[in-house]
Amino acid sequence: MKSLGIAAKLALFILSCVFVIVLAIVIYNYAYSREIILKQAEENSRLLALETTSRIDAVLSSVQKMANNIAFSLEDATLTREEILDLDRRVLANNPEIYGMAIAFEPYFLEKDKLFFAPYHYRSAGRIAFTMLGGPRYRYFYMDWYQIPKELGHSIWTEPYNDEGGGGVLMTTYAVPFYRTVDGRKVFAGVVTADVSLEWLKEMLQDIRIYRTGYAFLLSRHGTFVAHPDRNLVMNQTIFSLAEEVKSPALWRIGRNMLDGKSAFVELDNTVSEDERYLFYTGLEYGGWSLGVIFPKSEMLADVTRLSNVMSLIGLFGFALLALLIVTISRRITRPLSRLSKAALEIADGNLDLVLPETRCDDEVGRLTKSFRTMKFSLKEYIDNLTSTTAAKERIESELRIARDIQMGILPKLFPAFPDRTEFEIFASIEPAKEVGGDLYDFFFVDETHFCFLVGDVSGKGVPAAFFMAVTKTLLKVVSERGLNPGEVLSKVNSDLAAENESCMFVTLFLAIIDIETGDVQYANAGHNPPVYMPCGGAPEWIPPLGEPVAGIMDGMQYTTKSMKMNPGDIIFIYSDGVTEAMNPDKELYSDERLMRFMSDARGPFAPKLVKDLDASIKAFARGAEQSDDITMLAMQFMGKCKK
Amino acid sequence: MEFSTTKKDGALVVAVEGRMDAITTTEFDAQSQTWLADGEKKVIADLSGLEYISSAGLRSILAAAKQLKGSGGQLVFCGLSGMVEEVFNVSGFAAMFTIHKTLDDALAG
Repeated sequence: MKSLGIAAKLALFILSCVFVIVLAIVIYNYAYSREIILKQAEENSRLLALETTSRIDAVLSSVQKMANNIAFSLEDATLTREEILDLDRRVLANNPEIYGMAIAFEPYFLEKDKLFFAPYHYRSAGRIAFTMLGGPRYRYFYMDWYQIPKELGHSIWTEPYNDEGGGGVLMTTYAVPFYRTVDGRKVFAGVVTADVSLEWLKEMLQDIRIYRTGYAFLLSRHGTFVAHPDRNLVMNQTIFSLAEEVKSPALWRIGRNMLDGKSAFVELDNTVSEDERYLFYTGLEYGGWSLGVIFPKSEMLADVTRLSNVMSLIGLFGFALLALLIVTISRRITRPLSRLSKAALEIADGNLDLVLPETRCDDEVGRLTKSFRTMKFSLKEYIDNLTSTTAAKERIESELRIARDIQMGILPKLFPAFPDRTEFEIFASIEPAKEVGGDLYDFFFVDETHFCFLVGDVSGKGVPAAFFMAVTKTLLKVVSERGLNPGEVLSKVNSDLAAENESCMFVTLFLAIIDIETGDVQYANAGHNPPVYMPCGGAPEWIPPLGEPVAGIMDGMQYTTKSMKMNPGDIIFIYSDGVTEAMNPDKELYSDERLMRFMSDARGPFAPKLVKDLDASIKAFARGAEQSDDITMLAMQFMGKCKK
Repeated sequence: MEFSTTKKDGALVVAVEGRMDAITTTEFDAQSQTWLADGEKKVIADLSGLEYISSAGLRSILAAAKQLKGSGGQLVFCGLSGMVEEVFNVSGFAAMFTIHKTLDDALAG
């Protein structure tokens, strides 16, 4: 996720949101439309069922009325046999919905000699046919349609039946008992029946097409299928036998409710049929019948499903379009960014001449590119500056290094310096500071027996100090070789240096000349740190300063020459202030005290070893801290006649 | 290194504190240029707060003194102690300049 680009991230977030929204809309729409459709379906089915039942009821009620009227007329005892036959035939002729009508009398009731009297008019081949029911093989008094109204004392609708005599058509019969008054008593006289063909009913129900496979069905009083698209069910099965067959207690319950004449809109699970369906049922007013209307769920919801599908499709299309749009937009945003990031990498690699991508607009990315371009120019300028500065600095540094090398080169570095001389031992070292300094030392014979040695420290640092040092050293050598004493040498050198010294450079000097045969030493000090005198076997001591000023500033200054005597083994140790002012990381100085302590602790010292040991001691003290000053040391040990 | 300058009895008193080495002397040089520009005649360098002075520091003092002398002025010192006093003695600066023990002495002198 983290490594995804902005475009991908943007697309991912927005598209997930959109997906959820579209999904929510489709689901809500489906659920809502489904509810509406279901409500409508229930309403429609109710209307349909009511319309159907009322049409059926209208027919049945007219039949019922007719039969009831006939029954009422038959209570008139004055009616003749002909009149009764005529009545029967006329009713049939005037009521097309009545398939046949019989007026069946009690045995021997109308005519005392006739067991049967039951004229029956019925339709046959478009005409009205007539027969008298009753005979040894059809004793109608025992038939249900006669017995039940007689026993119950009210009219009934028989269970539908297939009428063999009437051409195998499905019939139901309305039977009404009628009575006559005999001897002041009302006695049962017979039954009027009106046969109704249920073919029209079947046709009517067949015409009810609900969606593609929806249908209506009719149950009789006992739950027998009177009308149903499945012919195998009609008159063969009851709703209860069907419920048994498919093992659906729910259907059995529905059957009970239907026979009770209730109305309801219910959902049928797929145990009853392959697909799920809705059923609306309602009882009829007459006959104890019940009408059911079946709605196939999938067909009913087909529109909703189609709508949802279309919506999903539109959503999907919109989704794809949006994805494309987002990717395009974010690409347009991020392409300059990624180009910029690539350019940044290249610039980071050092290619400052890289041409940055052009920006067309002044949006954030455009501004970023502009800032970036400015940064690149500044960077380039800065680097160019830095490069030239660095180059200049390097050149100067390299020149300084060379100057340093030359400066160091003029100091004697070869030890032992006089391997064939047994009278003395001399050793010197200089530890240059990082910056060019102005320390110097030198030693040389001024004649056969006189040996000159000196240490000096030019004020300040850098090239001026180096120059001054070189001049001083050259002057000292030249002047010393004239055979002057140390004071005269310093006086002369001082004058020469001071003559043209506008910059106020100066040098401290300690110069001594020893007679290597006697050990007599003459020395002069121009403002230099007091050197250390180490008598052989005795305690070291400072050679006291004379308080005479540094050389190079006061023209005409006269320096005093002092004398001292060195015995064999004695050492004169001269150093620059780099020794006593060597600093450790805690900013502590090596100090005069430490130097003197070191000198006191030196046992049976030997000049070269003394210098090297002191150097080690200073380094140990400094703990690697960088020193700001040159550290110069010179030890002169007089041997006299001693063996080295 | 820190400076504080005050005017006292017609003299400019410059109190120098801290370390005076090759790096910090440039500040002293800049200061001395301002005295010259202001036409100071008597400058008293109070070095009682100075802990350390290197040869470069001495050179700066020397240059300042010379220039001041060239314009008819004078640079005097006071309050030398410890290492600084030692350096002044060793280098012969003590012999070259007027040095007083205290600031009051310097003002009086």
